[in-house]
Amino acid sequence: MVDAVTLEVVRNACESIAEEMNADLVRTGYSPNIKERRDCSTALFDADGDLVAQAETMPVHLGAMPFSVAAAVDAFDGDLAPGDAVLLNDPFRGGAHLPDLTLVSPVYAEPESGGSDPELVAYAANRAHHADVGGSTAGSVAADSTEIYQEGLRIPPVKLVEGGEVDEDVLALLLANTRTPDERRGDVRAQRAANETARERVHDLLDEHGAGGLAAAFDEIQDYSERRMRAELRELPDGAFSFADVLDSDGRGATDLPVEAAVTVDGDEVSVDFAGSAPQTEGPVNAVFAVTASATYYAVRCVTDPGIPPNAGCYRPVAIDAPERSIVNPEPPAAVVGGNLETSQRVTDVVLGAFAEAVPDRVPAAGQGTMNNVTFGGTDPRNGEPYAFYETEGGGFGGRPEGDGLDAVHVHMSNTMNTPVEVLETAYPLRVRAYALRPDSGGAGASRGGLGLRRDVEVRDHEARFSLLADRHRNAPYGLAGGEPGTRGEVLAFEDGEYGADGHDGEDDEDEHGERLPEKCVRVLSPGTVVSIRTPGGGGHGDPGERDADAVCRDLALGKLTREYVREHHPGVLDDDAGGRHNTDGEADE
Amino acid sequence: MTANGWRDDGAGSDGSSDAADDAGGDGGSDDDGSGSDRVRVGVDVGGTFTDVVSVREGAVHVEKTPSTPENPAEGAVTGLAAASDAAGFAPGAVSFLSHGTTVATNAVLEGEWADAALVTNEGFRDVLEIGRQARPDIYDFDAEKPEPVVPRNRRVEVPGRLDERGAVLDPLDEDAVRAVGRELAADEGVDSVAVSLLYSFEDDSHERRVADLLRAAGVDAPVSLSSDVLPEIREYERTLATALNAALVPVMADYLAGLEARVREFGVDSGLRLMGSGGGLLAADTARERPVETLLSGPAAGVRGASFVAEQCGLADALTMDMGGTSCDVSLVRGGEPVVATDVAVGDYAVGVPTVDVHAVGSGGGSVAWVDDGGALHVGPKSAGADPGPVCYGRGGGRPTTTDAHYLLGRIDPDRFLADDLGADEAAVREAFAPVCDHLGATPEDAARGVLDVANANLRRALREVSVERGHDPRSFALVAFGGAGPLHACRLAADLGMPRVVVPRAAGVLSALGLLVSDVLHDHGVSRVRRVEDISPDVVTGAFAGLREDAVDRLADEGVPPARRRFERRADLRYAGQSFDLSVPVPDGDLDESAVGSLVERFHDRHAERYGHADRGEPVELVTLRLRARGVVDPPAFDPPAAGTTAADAIRAERPVAFDGTVAETPIYDRSRLPAGASVDGPAVVEDDATTVVVHPGQTADVDDHGHLVVDTDGGEA
Repeated sequence: MVDAVTLEVVRNACESIAEEMNADLVRTGYSPNIKERRDCSTALFDADGDLVAQAETMPVHLGAMPFSVAAAVDAFDGDLAPGDAVLLNDPFRGGAHLPDLTLVSPVYAEPESGGSDPELVAYAANRAHHADVGGSTAGSVAADSTEIYQEGLRIPPVKLVEGGEVDEDVLALLLANTRTPDERRGDVRAQRAANETARERVHDLLDEHGAGGLAAAFDEIQDYSERRMRAELRELPDGAFSFADVLDSDGRGATDLPVEAAVTVDGDEVSVDFAGSAPQTEGPVNAVFAVTASATYYAVRCVTDPGIPPNAGCYRPVAIDAPERSIVNPEPPAAVVGGNLETSQRVTDVVLGAFAEAVPDRVPAAGQGTMNNVTFGGTDPRNGEPYAFYETEGGGFGGRPEGDGLDAVHVHMSNTMNTPVEVLETAYPLRVRAYALRPDSGGAGASRGGLGLRRDVEVRDHEARFSLLADRHRNAPYGLAGGEPGTRGEVLAFEDGEYGADGHDGEDDEDEHGERLPEKCVRVLSPGTVVSIRTPGGGGHGDPGERDADAVCRDLALGKLTREYVREHHPGVLDDDAGGRHNTDGEADE
Repeated sequence: MTANGWRDDGAGSDGSSDAADDAGGDGGSDDDGSGSDRVRVGVDVGGTFTDVVSVREGAVHVEKTPSTPENPAEGAVTGLAAASDAAGFAPGAVSFLSHGTTVATNAVLEGEWADAALVTNEGFRDVLEIGRQARPDIYDFDAEKPEPVVPRNRRVEVPGRLDERGAVLDPLDEDAVRAVGRELAADEGVDSVAVSLLYSFEDDSHERRVADLLRAAGVDAPVSLSSDVLPEIREYERTLATALNAALVPVMADYLAGLEARVREFGVDSGLRLMGSGGGLLAADTARERPVETLLSGPAAGVRGASFVAEQCGLADALTMDMGGTSCDVSLVRGGEPVVATDVAVGDYAVGVPTVDVHAVGSGGGSVAWVDDGGALHVGPKSAGADPGPVCYGRGGGRPTTTDAHYLLGRIDPDRFLADDLGADEAAVREAFAPVCDHLGATPEDAARGVLDVANANLRRALREVSVERGHDPRSFALVAFGGAGPLHACRLAADLGMPRVVVPRAAGVLSALGLLVSDVLHDHGVSRVRRVEDISPDVVTGAFAGLREDAVDRLADEGVPPARRRFERRADLRYAGQSFDLSVPVPDGDLDESAVGSLVERFHDRHAERYGHADRGEPVELVTLRLRARGVVDPPAFDPPAAGTTAADAIRAERPVAFDGTVAETPIYDRSRLPAGASVDGPAVVEDDATTVVVHPGQTADVDDHGHLVVDTDGGEA
């Protein structure tokens, strides 16, 4: 029996271990994607491979890592020893998409005197997004691949480290299949260091609690979260709730691909069934089951108490069914890179949409629903060196029952940082012409959807390859409870000279010259081309007629809304008799 | 200005002093900081108390008076007057007055600052609002982004653009600036103006021209330029710092005007210095121009006091913990200097100006213990605060706190904190613990132990965050504990973390005020020059440093620092090209040539290997920022040694049973003021002074050093 004090002390220590692993990974990592954008996650598991604690970083990684530990254990059942570490990225065996490399290390108690076998007490695991793992395009985020073989090197669970020694053959095989071997070597080294940190800290805990005591504490940590999660679920009304939405396309011509969730709340349990979702696609938007599960767990966590310590216990009352050979549970050799980046967002949208029926006061309208993955590549005319620049763009968060959606943030499954304009222009032959909120892009509602953003990037003095993997260009983020949808995203390309004198005034009104690009495409851009990336706004929440007129006027005064938008979506606010006051407040008024 | 406190004797000029440039200042030599009858005073205004520490001829006097939050200057001067009365010095004898303040901090926390406007490049007015795109909390849908410091309709754009080398891409549209100037001049709601243009750190001429044109157009509000406030790469962080500065300029101006008038009226004419967030003193005029540099004035003073004490004990590396009623501030001192960071959060804002890296955790003496629905025991973050405070204080508190847990275990004597003679109500404390006892199935004493275990788990995690997570092994650090509750927890925490030593300073209750008396004047100057090292002419670096030095000399001279007291340290932040994490390496004095630049790169590789475990000597290296730290050296006052002519045994004021891990021992209670230098106390022991209680666990030994600090061998470390 673990008492409440030990529970709290060990839980704190385990979270601290996960955070120290993460700090270690970011500190000793090599590539900017890990050090600056922090596209990595770390976690501690018990001897059964159940999650005990995690560092709260990338949502899409977090619910998916238990699948990695399970795959590593499956592959080497009974054949792991102290000092071993298993590397994998195979989306069909514990991974998510190929750039995410996961390292799983078993942790053993020091052998007892007497020479019995060392006792397995825990697993440490971490996942890092590597900037290149081969495949058809630099960056390994190709919008046009049709098979996983085109997406890069596929690594089933293999022992990278055996008895503390790196298997140089395995490492050589990995490094021979990437465009940036030095970076990869450095990042893998950091991943090893992070798990080493966990091993040392678990040994400290063993000194204090013993193997039996620690195992009991791990169990209690999970039981505790399970108790709290079940108590939360009991508060939800029983019933079946469903929601359907679509993904714009797969990048290979198929459009409006359905993603559907049926959520059943029954007492203190919940099940989610994705029957009705599209069959797996030719293009790379297939989300493997681990990603679908991760997105589902995220949604469940958000509609319950987000303060419940996240571990396997939280997820015990959650059952997930996803049809085989579907866009949310594909089989090999499906292309999957965008499943992790884009489809994961739609999975979140539909699960939350279903929960909105059950607990309307807890669920926001749809956020931008995409990560807007952009890659520019070419040769830097300033020094003749090749470059590749990858980033994702934030957009609108959905309007919330108790507040407007946040403007210009990463939503749901993503949470990376942007690249500062000054850093971007210094490092790459690109010029940012405008970086602004996108007025009028939030869906109208009692709570307004968050605004999308606009980033206009000019290709300077060279020809560049541009790759776009985005969504919500065809189908707008939904509103809820009478709220209107957010504005769809769009990406326009202006050839040299077309980008108008008003081109960077932050308004979307000078589009006549630009060419609208498909939301998933690969293009060659001529020198001087400006790509204007305009990300979707969030959906509105509640009846726009109920929006506080002062809030409308404040948005108008701030230039977040135009008079046209206000007249259309909030008629009466500007024209009624009390309008004198409003017109004064709304200083954009004439 | 008659800024004094300087001994202009040229002594100790081991750094690069600046004897050639004796601009400004009176070179005041009327206070050598130790031997004359002049008085040095530090006034630290906290949320509850204003602490005044004065030193005259080595005699230290401490005065604690209530703060007056609605007008902090009033409390500051009341405290000063009380100290003058009690310590018996005339106001005119004060030669050095330094001040720690939360005026800027509170303005930020409460959003009660001046209405500012922002002038920036065409296309970029939303940089301030977009931030870095990450959302404030991953899972919490209710989390909000910080309110932009300047609202969107007061962020105005002007055409004109530089490139990444500072070359003009588009000329500044001066007519547009004039039009903006007329608009702002006519807007009565604008009290301050920030100007932040892209690449102003490469070339500030557009920003300066904007300021001139605005003034010419009739703008009489103060103007803050990003090239002055934070001339470093990363537009969001620079713009945020500049906007915060602009919003705080009028607040600080009002505050200082009132305070300076009162101080003069009282009869002190020494001038006034403020503790800056970076751990050094700033002249009042500097604080007026750069209030953003005072955001962590109070905590920085505490860390500075702690680093001074650690150094007196011969310990260059220390973790510090300042634990009060509500929270605990932890920080790290390396090589005798508080570690500074450029992402320290104040309220919702991560401030880019170099700031002592203080990490706050919601665990204090008043933190409340409670059991959640899932059956876990928590301590904090809710606090009983000072009012009603812990149950054992008998002021009406009814929820069990960490202080009550210490009380039940016999570690503190609450009678020392009580205003009346009623004594602590033990029955009330036991009753308050009943729900925790029921849940744990434990006696009140065991429940109290459990509460402290949980509180220590939170504190341990915070200490690991500022050390282990930043790449430092706590086992080679000492723990300096202060604040009312710090020394109650420190010896156990240090043993758990394998830290060999705990230092409880002699002035543990007023260490921030002490810090104000031992700080140097410090100014950090920096300028970004992002380019590959192989593309840099050494002249560019030499020239940039010369520019920084010129600014630094002007600022020190303005503050009255005589040339012989000036020290300059140069550093360069470098990184591997394409990476985003910089490392700072020292730059030797003098003009740089090719080989000097080459040796910087070598030093960078070494430092990288040391900090990150690997170095790639073949990779191209990029310069990011050149830094100059200018210092006006202050001689810390000397303090009289502690009590003499007594022995440790004389200092025992009582014995009582005190509970430790699993044992209860009849434990001597020492009166710290009667412990002489050299006294040694074996644990278990409790050492009490006016401000705090030190718990020395069985197996540990506490020694009083020559300065009166208590140095505890924790029996847990390697040394």
